[in-house]
Amino acid sequence: MSDWFPLRLSIGVSLLATVITVATGLPLAWLLARRRFPGRDLLDAAVVLPLVLPPTVLGYYLLVVISRRGPLGSVLETLGIDLAFTWRAAVIAAWVGSFGLFVKAAQAGLELVDARLEQAARTLGRGEWDVFWRVTLPLAWRGVLAGTVLAFCRALGDFGITLMAAGNIPGLTQTMPLSIYDHVQAGRYADANQLSFIAIALAAVLLLGVGRLTKFRL
Amino acid sequence: MLRSLCRNSVRALATALVALAACEGAKRGVRGPLTVYAASDLALAFEEIVPLFQRASGDSVRVVLGSTGNLTQQIEQGAPADVFFAANVSYIEQLRGKDLIAPESQRLYARGRIVLATSERSGIRVQSLTDLLKPEVRKVAIANPAHAPYGLAAREAMQAAGVWTQVEPKLVLGENIRQALQFVESGAADAGIIALSLAQSPGIVTAPIADSLHRPIDQAAAVIRSSQNAEAGAAFIAFVVGPEGQTIMMKYGFVLPAGAGMSSDSARPAGAMPPP
Repeated sequence: MSDWFPLRLSIGVSLLATVITVATGLPLAWLLARRRFPGRDLLDAAVVLPLVLPPTVLGYYLLVVISRRGPLGSVLETLGIDLAFTWRAAVIAAWVGSFGLFVKAAQAGLELVDARLEQAARTLGRGEWDVFWRVTLPLAWRGVLAGTVLAFCRALGDFGITLMAAGNIPGLTQTMPLSIYDHVQAGRYADANQLSFIAIALAAVLLLGVGRLTKFRL
Repeated sequence: MLRSLCRNSVRALATALVALAACEGAKRGVRGPLTVYAASDLALAFEEIVPLFQRASGDSVRVVLGSTGNLTQQIEQGAPADVFFAANVSYIEQLRGKDLIAPESQRLYARGRIVLATSERSGIRVQSLTDLLKPEVRKVAIANPAHAPYGLAAREAMQAAGVWTQVEPKLVLGENIRQALQFVESGAADAGIIALSLAQSPGIVTAPIADSLHRPIDQAAAVIRSSQNAEAGAAFIAFVVGPEGQTIMMKYGFVLPAGAGMSSDSARPAGAMPPP
């Protein structure tokens, strides 16, 4: 097999999606772990919801939002940015799929941090921002890292949301899982096996690695 | 240690992002390959036609296969297709109604046929639609009639043959006709109704279905209105209906429907076909 584009695309898309997931998910994980406010349970459920919904539901509504006539897609189109059926849609799809996974793992890690240590830092005159970066996060890094790796693996494996929102365009939006699907449909089983093996090996190595590094039970 | 780890990974990710953005920028500079959305019954024929066209024209072509209904849906949502080869003219009409194709580019390019298919290895053989009622035929694969023209034709043929209600519980629906074939090929289904154009796949045994049993599968193509590659798109359609393309199409069991124009007709410019 000579076409490594799907693998390269998948890795690029997943890296980018993971950055966005961590950037958007960490504040939310902290909020859920450390603050009590009205609607918190609702927010908590909303974070988990995408993990249990059929990917087709997510993909369908994502496409509705980002397509040219959708609320987000139409705004961005005026700026000359296409979302639907581009690699950007694949990134958003991967983000939608992995966001909840990251938030729950990071939240669990943050909740394990002894609140008295944060309190001690506050009594020593540290602001909330400093407390988070210098006390909370260094103590919660195992959960956060585990969540990051899980998010990356989930992003790498997304099929349904990507298929619906980014399409299955060889050389453009055909990620590794879509390429495997395509190989099977066309009866190219050797190619399908090769890519599948890479997918399994990659995920196994990542999960073992993060387990070793963090001693965090996934 | 954590800080430097963070800093390093942020740096690595930033590099990856810049590289990705650079790729995108490079891609935008050129016009990009001609993107052909094609019904999946064309999988084998286009595997031969596309390289010929690329050699003849110098254009590079990217083929996206799927069920006609799915591809139509995607084009309506703004998918980056330049040309669309539908397995049924009605979908092209639907896009024309929404002003999404260049009407003068629309052409009939083939009439498709359906056949019964079994896997050589399974030992199960079906000669006619009534053979699908045999007890050893437990699963029958067809493309999803809701959005795949070949699936629709399969359903019409079974209804006309009077076996639909008995076969219906045995049905396995492929997302497109290529997947229906794969179900038969892999042994997941004992028999299937597939496109004649895919019947030359290795390990597949077929039996004909009379074309009087279903409405004709008249396949049409058109250039998408928003295409930046309209000229190359029209050239590709002309190539498929031209002598070289039609030789290959006929090899895969397609016939050219009346009014589409072969031989002398193929010399006229694309779009000269009167609207149906």
